[in-house]
Amino acid sequence: MTEQAMRPQFMGARVKRVEDPRLLTGQARYLDDIDLPGMLEIAFVRSPYPSARITGMELNAVKSAAGVRAVLTFEDCPILLWQRDSYQVGQPVLAHNEVRYVGEPVVAVVAEDRYQAEDAAELAVVHYEPLQPVLDMVQAIEELPRRVHSHASNVFYHKEYTTQGFSDAFAQAPRHLAATFRTTRQTAVTLEPRGTAAMPDPASGRMTVYASTQSPHRIRGDLAELLGWPENQVRVIVPEVGGGFGMKANTYPEDVVVVWAARHLGKPVKWVSDRTESLLTDVHARDDIHEVEVAYQDDGRIIAIRDHLMADGGAYPAYPFSGAVGETSLASRVLTGPYQIPYIETVIDCTYSNKTPLGAYRGVWGPIASFVQEGIVDRVARSLSLDPAEVRRINMIRPDQFPFRNAAGMIYDAGSYGESMEEALRLINYKDFRVRQSALRAQGRYRGIGISVFVEPTAMASSEAGSVGYESVFIRVEPTGKVTAAMGLGPTGQGHETTMAQLIADQVGVNLEDVVILHGDTDSAPFGGGTGGSRSGPIGGGAALVAGREMRQRLVKLAAHLLEAAEEDIELGHGQAWVAGVPDRAMTIRQLAEIAYTHVKRIPPGMPIGLELVARYQPEQSVSFSNGTHIAEVEVDPLTGLVQVVNYVVVNDCGRLINPLIVEGQIHGGVAQGIGSAFLESLRYGDDGQLMTTSLSDYLLPEATDVPRITIEHLVTPSAGEGGIKGMGEGSLIGAPAALVGAVSDALAPFHVMVDRLPVTPDDVIEWVTARV
Amino acid sequence: MNSKVPLKLTVNGETFDIEVEPRWLLSDVLRHQLGLVGTHVGCEQGACGACTVLIDGKPERSCLTFAIQVEGQQITTVEGLTRGEHLTPLQESFSAHHALQCGYCTPGMLLTATALLEQEPHPTEQRVREAISGNVCRCTGYQFIVDAILAVAGDTKEDVR
Ligand code: FES
Ligand code: FES
Repeated sequence: MTEQAMRPQFMGARVKRVEDPRLLTGQARYLDDIDLPGMLEIAFVRSPYPSARITGMELNAVKSAAGVRAVLTFEDCPILLWQRDSYQVGQPVLAHNEVRYVGEPVVAVVAEDRYQAEDAAELAVVHYEPLQPVLDMVQAIEELPRRVHSHASNVFYHKEYTTQGFSDAFAQAPRHLAATFRTTRQTAVTLEPRGTAAMPDPASGRMTVYASTQSPHRIRGDLAELLGWPENQVRVIVPEVGGGFGMKANTYPEDVVVVWAARHLGKPVKWVSDRTESLLTDVHARDDIHEVEVAYQDDGRIIAIRDHLMADGGAYPAYPFSGAVGETSLASRVLTGPYQIPYIETVIDCTYSNKTPLGAYRGVWGPIASFVQEGIVDRVARSLSLDPAEVRRINMIRPDQFPFRNAAGMIYDAGSYGESMEEALRLINYKDFRVRQSALRAQGRYRGIGISVFVEPTAMASSEAGSVGYESVFIRVEPTGKVTAAMGLGPTGQGHETTMAQLIADQVGVNLEDVVILHGDTDSAPFGGGTGGSRSGPIGGGAALVAGREMRQRLVKLAAHLLEAAEEDIELGHGQAWVAGVPDRAMTIRQLAEIAYTHVKRIPPGMPIGLELVARYQPEQSVSFSNGTHIAEVEVDPLTGLVQVVNYVVVNDCGRLINPLIVEGQIHGGVAQGIGSAFLESLRYGDDGQLMTTSLSDYLLPEATDVPRITIEHLVTPSAGEGGIKGMGEGSLIGAPAALVGAVSDALAPFHVMVDRLPVTPDDVIEWVTARV
Repeated sequence: MNSKVPLKLTVNGETFDIEVEPRWLLSDVLRHQLGLVGTHVGCEQGACGACTVLIDGKPERSCLTFAIQVEGQQITTVEGLTRGEHLTPLQESFSAHHALQCGYCTPGMLLTATALLEQEPHPTEQRVREAISGNVCRCTGYQFIVDAILAVAGDTKEDVR
C-alpha cells in the first residue's frame, strides 16, 4: 500500500505561517481583548509580607466603593489547590489566616471596571502580625528558622539515587574536585501577562472559561475538580496567547477565583495581571543549588559525580506541577549530559520558603543541568591544563553506543553528539581562536569561548503540561474537500496552525491553504495534553501524521472503488486522486468528499459514511533526545564588568524538521533567553523577604542590542517515532546559559575565574577580577 | 477626580468624539473605548514597548501617555498601517522572515520600524537594532525581526510605504 505520502511537499519546507496575517494587522484577539456585555473585572489585594498571620480585615469601605459588586475572601471561596494532598500542603486560592509570600492573593475585589476595582482594593485594611520569614533553602532543610507550614516538614521532596559501584569508583579515581553551582530565581516573563475570564451561560448552565494557558484540557479538569463541577459543564477557550514558556502551564489561584466569582455573581468576570503582579506571582523558576564532587582521571576522563541538588520551591508547590521537583528530579537523571560518565550519586531536597511558588520556565531542569555538567568539564580541563574541547571529546558518548543507558538509567536514542560539537567548533573557527585570544589578551582584552553540548529529553509522558503521553487529532474532510483538524495542543507562538497543517496536507494530498487547524477549545478538540516539555512536535505532530494517514487510507479506498482500480495504484496529491500512470483516470478530493457525504450509495460496502475520524498517537519510546552544541564567544570588560556576546553558533539536531524557519525562530528565541539567564535576569529578594525586582526596569530582559547574530546549522538524526520528529522547544535555552558563562570563565582564566552562578552580573565580574589580580 | 471630559481623538485618520476620565491612559482608551485592541499592553511601566503607537509620526508609549494629552495630534495604531486588503511590504517581510511568534510585540515593532524607515530609509543593522531596542520581544531573539526590516530597507529606494 502507498501508506506514505509520495514525497512530502510541505514537511521540511520553510513555509510562511498561516497565523501571521491576523497578528500583523492587529486583528488577533488575546485574553484582555475579550470584552463581554456586563463584564466585571477583578483586582486582588495581595500580601505585602512574606510571612504573617492575618489578625483582621476591614473591608466595609471596599464594599461601598463606587462600582464594587463583590468583595471575596477565603470564607467566601474556601478552595485549596492540591486537594489531593500529594504534598500535605494546598494553597488556598485566597489566603487563609496566614500569608506565606509577598503577592499572595488575600482579597478579591470585583467591580465594574479595572480602574474601580483597583481604587476600591486600595481601601482594604488587612491587619497582619509579621512572622519570621524562611528565606534560605540550606537552613530550611534543617527546619530553620522555622517551618513554613507548621504541620509539614520544610523538605517536601527528598530522593536519593546511586549507581551501583559508585563508592569504589569514586574513591579509587586519582583526582577529585568540588564545586558549588547556584542559580538565582528567574521567570518566564511572557510579554502578554497572565489572565482569565469566565462567562456563565444561563441558558445551558455551562461555564465558558477563557484562559491564557498552554494546556486547555488540563485547566478544564483542574477547574472542574477544584470547583466540584462536572467536567462537561466547563468549556475552556484559549484565545491568542502571547507567550507561555512553561509559566502558563499551571492553574493559578486567580483562575479559580475568577471562575468562582462568575458563577456566584452570574456575570462575566475578567482578571488580567499587571506587570508587577506578574513578577510577584507568575511561577518563578531556577532557584537551585548543586553541591558537586567529581572524580576523574589524569587524561580528563570523568568517572563519577556526586551531587546534592537543592531547590527552593517557594511557599506552596505550584499546581499541578512543582518546579522545584521538576528542576531537580530530571536534572539528576541527565546530569551527565552527552558524556559517558559511568557513576553518579544524587541526593535531592526540595524545600518550602516564604517566596513565590516555583514552577516551570522553558527548559525547567535543563539550563541548570547543562550549566553544572559543562561547568564540571571545564573545571576538569582547567585543572589538568587540557583543551576543554579535547576533554569533551574524551568523555563524549560515541555513535556506536546508542541506545545509550546513562548512569542514572535514562535511555538515550541516537543523536549526533560528537558530530554536532565538531561542526560547531568548525563554524566558530576554534582552531584559530586560541591564537586570537592570546593576541587580544596581550592588548588587555579578554575574550573567551564557551562550549555547551546539550541533550534535550523530549516527548516524555509527563511534563509541566500534564501527564498525557499521547495526543489526539480529530480530522474531517469537509463535503467541499477542505480539511479541518482539531487538537488539544496549546500553542503560545510556536505556529502549530502551520506546522500541523503541513503534516496533514502532505498525508491527505491537499494544499496547505486547504487545511485549517483548530485548537484551544475543549468543546471541539479531542482530549490532549497541551503544549509543554517539547511534546507538541513529536507527539502532536505524530498524531497529525497518523490522523492524516488514516484519512488518506479512507480516501484511497473510496477512490479505488470509484475509479475501479486497485488501492495500491491510487495516488493522492494537489487535491486529486488518480490512478498511477493514468492521470486521466482521476477525481478531485472534492468530488470524493461529496460522494462520501451525499451520494452515499456509491461508497464501497463496509466503509463508514462521511470523512471524519479521531486518531491518537503515543510514541513507543518513553522519551526521545534531541541534541546539539552551542558555542559562544564573548568579550568581558574587566573595568565595567560588562559582557558582550560577539559570536554565537548553534548546531542543532532535532530529528526531521517540520519547518526549518520555525525551528530557527525557536533557537534564536531560546538563545536570547539564555543571554538573559546568563547575564541579566534575576529576581532578587531582600533579607526581609521582599521581592525587589517588580518592574521590567529592575528585571532586565535582553534587547535587540544584547543579542548577536546567531549562526545555525541543522543535523538530522531521526527519532524512531512518527515522522522521525524530535522535540526542540527547550533545547536552545538548555544549551545557551552554559555556553555563555563558560565563555566568561574562559575569558577570565588569567584571573582564575570559574563561573559558579547564573546569572553573572557586572558586579560579580568586577569582584572577581579585583579580588584575584 | 473621576468625572469625564470630552475629547476629540484622531486615530488612523478618523476623528472620534468621546468622553474620557483625565486619568485614562491612551492605551486603555484606544483598546477599550475605541476597540483598537491591536495596541498591546505588556507592562504599563514604559519598559517593554508593546504599547507603541505613532503620535505625529513618532513612536511613543501609549501606556505612559494620558489620552487627553494627545488631542489634535495624529495617532497611528497597527490597525492604521494596512490600507485595504493587503499587507504592507513591512508586514509581508515580517511574515516572510518569520519575525513574529506569539505576535504580542509585533504591533509595537511594526510601528517603531515604520517610523525608523520613514526617517532613515536605509539604516544599518546596528541602527535597526538600536531603533527597536526599546521594544522587547520575548520570543524571536530579534534576528528575524532585524532581517525583516533590513529586507524592506533594501527593497525600497527612497519611499518606504
Ligand atoms: S506597555 Fe507600555 S511600555 Fe510596556
Ligand atoms: S513574538 Fe512574542 S513577544 Fe515578540
